[in-house]
Amino acid sequence: MKLIKIAFKSALNRKVSLSLAIFSIAISILLLLGVDTLRKQAKNNFLNTISQTDLIVGARSSPTNLLLYSVFHIGNATNNVSYASYQDIIASKKVKWSVPISLGDSHRGFRVMGTNGDYFRYYRYANGQNLAFQHGTAFSGVYDAVVGIDVAQSLNYQLNDEITLSHGIVATKYGEHADKPFRIVGILQKTGTPVDRTVMISLQGIEAIHIDWQSGTRSSLRISAEQALKMGLQPKNITAFMLGLSNRIEIFQLKRKINDYAKEPLLAIMPGSTLAYLWQTLGQFEKILMAISALVLLAGLIGLLIALLTTLNERRREMAVLRAVGAHTYHVIILFMLEAMLVVIVGCLVGIALLYGLQSIMQPIIAQNYGIYLHAQWPDTMQIIFLGLVLMLAMLLSLIPGVIAYKRSLQDGLMVKI
Amino acid sequence: MKNPVIKINNIHFRYNNQTADDVLHIADLQVYEGEHLFIQGASGSGKTSLLNLITGINQPYKGSVQVLGQSLQNLSSMQCDQFRVDFLGIIFQQFNLLPFLSVLENVQLPCWFSAKRRSLAGNSSSEIKQTAMRLLTELSLSDTLFNQPANTLSVGQQQRIAVARALIGQPKIIIADEPTSSLDTDNRERFLELLFLEADKQKSTVVFVSHDSYIAPYFSRVIDLSQINLAG
Repeated sequence: MKLIKIAFKSALNRKVSLSLAIFSIAISILLLLGVDTLRKQAKNNFLNTISQTDLIVGARSSPTNLLLYSVFHIGNATNNVSYASYQDIIASKKVKWSVPISLGDSHRGFRVMGTNGDYFRYYRYANGQNLAFQHGTAFSGVYDAVVGIDVAQSLNYQLNDEITLSHGIVATKYGEHADKPFRIVGILQKTGTPVDRTVMISLQGIEAIHIDWQSGTRSSLRISAEQALKMGLQPKNITAFMLGLSNRIEIFQLKRKINDYAKEPLLAIMPGSTLAYLWQTLGQFEKILMAISALVLLAGLIGLLIALLTTLNERRREMAVLRAVGAHTYHVIILFMLEAMLVVIVGCLVGIALLYGLQSIMQPIIAQNYGIYLHAQWPDTMQIIFLGLVLMLAMLLSLIPGVIAYKRSLQDGLMVKI
Repeated sequence: MKNPVIKINNIHFRYNNQTADDVLHIADLQVYEGEHLFIQGASGSGKTSLLNLITGINQPYKGSVQVLGQSLQNLSSMQCDQFRVDFLGIIFQQFNLLPFLSVLENVQLPCWFSAKRRSLAGNSSSEIKQTAMRLLTELSLSDTLFNQPANTLSVGQQQRIAVARALIGQPKIIIADEPTSSLDTDNRERFLELLFLEADKQKSTVVFVSHDSYIAPYFSRVIDLSQINLAG
């Protein structure tokens, strides 16, 4: 239609102010879609961290705390679980598999986790995916270690490299287990979960490095790595353990049984529901971010409105000429709407292009620093609906200059005397 | 036989219907087919108001305006807009053109809004373009200018483009509102010559308002608005 051509050429004639309006819309679209994408993908990542584990058991504390330290390696356990209780519970016929976890040491900022070979067999993430080795195999010896991909990459580790572990979460010279070095026998493939940033050793390894330690400090007694091997190395405590059940219907029953466990105070949680609860708490923050983005978008739209309003006077003649050649007064309003549409559509496209560009640049950086793995995705249905709403809002706003110009053109008729 | 194309009968017009005085009160004015009518009037004598009534932008509160046998007060504002583009070619004092369209596009504008003008200008878009180019050439515009943006041209050239636009699609009446005021004497004569030549060729009537009595001798009929306007 010719009206679109007129609107387009007229807009081109005012390209400076309109490109600024397009730019501000593009930035706000970028921000809004960016926050939304980040939020959704972070949530996805978060919920994908653990899968097909029916119960996580630790010393009694809050469910969130247990989940955070056992799965996300954030924070610390308040207490340990005795190995005897662990053995007692997994002896139940209901338990299909179990994975013990022993935390508390670190290696150059990465958490060390003591476990056993079942970890590589039963731990699942995302939609039930297994851990897989990029190089090497699971540990078999006491001084063998398996590292996550991020550990290997950021510290530039190869198979057979030797590493030493430190006592506690923060590395200090004082707390170094320097006398008992570990050899890397396996490097895991990328998972997009905290596993990537973990060093995994056997429970016996954990026992060995602490054999000459007492109450968190080194005792005067020195036991060499070789000597330690000959000692029992039977773990007395672990931090937590994961359970898979043969029959999922029995989850609640077992959960209640563990929570009522008489010999020591334990807590069993269902990771899925605790994750969901945790995300709900974090959800407040995401709502605030979304609200800020929405306000930025509003500012962008008001910028568009200003761009349209400031040109009203110079366009008065344009409207009179159009009226003289047969344009109806409602065409005047349509012209402003078309212009707003043009600006918003181009703004949205530029914003989406910016988002994808930025995502592909930022993706490795965000993954490394925050463990959130972004995937370039087409806008989902919600986002497309949202963009449609933005377009409608812009068209509504364009009614303001449109109606002003309409009234003026009724007043002016064909003879504009300026 | 002279056929009236515009009949104005005892009209009263004022800008707001309450207490203001009449701006126009014309007992009788007829414009005949094919004539070149010059309506002369000083500023503020109601020239623009008269043109607004003839083009249907405003309505008199009393009396009737008939254009080509059609009573304008019987038309809705939408029908009025359509009637205007179908049958009237309009030329302003200045700034006739849309600066962001090319010369050729400016000339074709009425054909974009009127099926009637379009069909009279040609059967296809290329024919309409041909017509626009012919008109521009006859109005002595060099074809090197045709695709330039309209605002890069001189005022004299712009006014001739405005004539081409008023003429395209053979509207019955050409309404001109002081189109020569921004031109110098030489350009003014040339402008009138070309306007009359082309209007005669397609048998369009010319209604021309101006304060400038100097150009009155070029016209077949001259009316002094102060003589026929009984208001004020």
